[in-house]
Amino acid sequence: MEREKVIEVKDLVKRFGAFTANNRLTFDVYRGEIFGFLGANGAGKTTAMRILCGLSRPTSGRVLVAGIDASRRPEEIKKRIGYMSQRFSLYEDLTVRENIELYGGIYGMSMKEIVPRREALLERLSFTSYGDMLIRALPLGLKQKLAFAVAVFHDPEIVFLDEPTSGVDPVTRRQFWEMIYETASRGITVFVTTHYMDEANYCDRITIMSEGRIVALDSPSALLRQYGTASVEDLFVKIARPQKNTV
Amino acid sequence: MKKLIFLLSKEFRQIRRNPFMIRAIIAVPVLQMLILVPAVTFEVKRIDLAVIDNDRSQASRELVAKLTGSSFFVVAATPATVTEAESMLFSGDADIALVIPPDFSEGLAGVTRPRLQVLVDAVNATSAQLSWSYLTSVVRDFNRDVIVSTGMMPGNTTALSGGSVPGISVSPRYWYNPTLNYKYYMLPGVLVILITAIGLMMSGLNLVREKESGTIEQINVTPVMKWQLIASKIIPFFIIGLLDLALGLSIGWLAFNIPFEGSLLLFFACAAIFLVAVLGLALFFSTMASTQQQFLFVAFFFVMIFILMSGIFTPTESMPLWAQQFNWVNPVAYLMRINRMVMLKGSGFSDIMRDMGMLTVLAFSYLTLAIRAYRKRA
Repeated sequence: MEREKVIEVKDLVKRFGAFTANNRLTFDVYRGEIFGFLGANGAGKTTAMRILCGLSRPTSGRVLVAGIDASRRPEEIKKRIGYMSQRFSLYEDLTVRENIELYGGIYGMSMKEIVPRREALLERLSFTSYGDMLIRALPLGLKQKLAFAVAVFHDPEIVFLDEPTSGVDPVTRRQFWEMIYETASRGITVFVTTHYMDEANYCDRITIMSEGRIVALDSPSALLRQYGTASVEDLFVKIARPQKNTV
Repeated sequence: MKKLIFLLSKEFRQIRRNPFMIRAIIAVPVLQMLILVPAVTFEVKRIDLAVIDNDRSQASRELVAKLTGSSFFVVAATPATVTEAESMLFSGDADIALVIPPDFSEGLAGVTRPRLQVLVDAVNATSAQLSWSYLTSVVRDFNRDVIVSTGMMPGNTTALSGGSVPGISVSPRYWYNPTLNYKYYMLPGVLVILITAIGLMMSGLNLVREKESGTIEQINVTPVMKWQLIASKIIPFFIIGLLDLALGLSIGWLAFNIPFEGSLLLFFACAAIFLVAVLGLALFFSTMASTQQQFLFVAFFFVMIFILMSGIFTPTESMPLWAQQFNWVNPVAYLMRINRMVMLKGSGFSDIMRDMGMLTVLAFSYLTLAIRAYRKRA
């Protein structure tokens, strides 16, 4: 059975002056899968993700997100995706309820739609008692979970998570990944970058980037078999380290 | 449109929760009006005289008495030599040194023409000229008294008052500001400074702050349109600007009893157009700055230039041509003129139509500039 492609990238190149951040990236992402994007700092993960989100334009290559060309109609893409950046980005001086209301409204929902969904969401996350608290008063773990919930509040086709679990404790990370699974089970494709190699095992497929190129792309178990390593961490060290001796 | 309402309610909630903003919105107009209006003045009220009286006669004492009797002049010292007087001018202890020659009274009696020497500290050219003209008018009065009392120039004494040419009387009527109250001149200008500062600083800082905290990136990845975002950043500060203008004007009425001859509606309409121009400019600057410091530096630079060149202190007509040409794109210059005309002269729409039209063009251009410069991407 041919699975539906929700992201198609072919020969994506992004240059900043003489520096090539993304060098001929080619990959597809299927609907409903959890797609992990791994790579060392500066490997070009965030650059690629920003192009997929319509925040940046490719220098060349073909990028289709939810069937829409990222070079031509990035604003159309924005209607269909959710995004959570590594910098925490809810409004600190608004309450939990006000943040949800704002982002719901921005994605075109009316107050009539927002209020019942919001209350159901708070209930599900056991956040109801925090509803009228300012974001700045919440602990980091709760903020991250809430930011993710807000990123998928409008039921996007794809949600992009840029290092969503950096800086949170292991228990919260586990809960966070439960939320990711729950989201994927709703049919929302999850595109996630991460530094934590153990998290790579939670993904359906992973891509490893190094120096602007894709050096590996498959399911975690297939990659382990292919390279004969015991863990994703060993795999990563083996193939993703920049080739210092060639410089 | 619905999205804009969500964005606006977010902005107003944030403003309401920010105690600094609330304080600034109230304190800035109150302090600016109460401090700047009475403080910024070119009126010269006290002139310190150093008198070197080499004559020591009845006539020289009468002259000095006439000067000190005028309420402007105070004899700060009576040095013996001109050198001493010069050092007083240098140290700032005296503003004017008046040297009365030894043959002063003799001259008055008709032997020689008496010559007074006057040394003026002219570091501040404006106050030096004012002091000088006060002094000459007192001396002129003194002359006239001498003429009358000695009968050397017979005639009707009243006809001689005020003018140097006997027989012609010049009595000026000062229109639009009959009492020559400097506050009336400054107050409309201070109102312009007020809304320039509020408009340019608050709105620009707001957008740059969102850049710094990263929230703007979250907004950029949503389908919000540029004009919606810009409108949500402009409208709150537009309203605050007009409220502060009303507050400032009320203080003008209560504290300084400023006359308001023209139409309030016209006054606020012009201020509204002006605010759009200034807010557009503020957002344009904020698209170029990535930190609040950078924005403040750029904004402060332009605010200074705009205000100093606007004609608040010195008439724009006496500026060099290039400066007058610069004022074509200086929104502050237009409102400075409009405010004074509407408040003091009671000018109507047809009188200020040209300025109002140019201000509208500027508002439109700066707003377009801001929208074009804003990028929903890195």
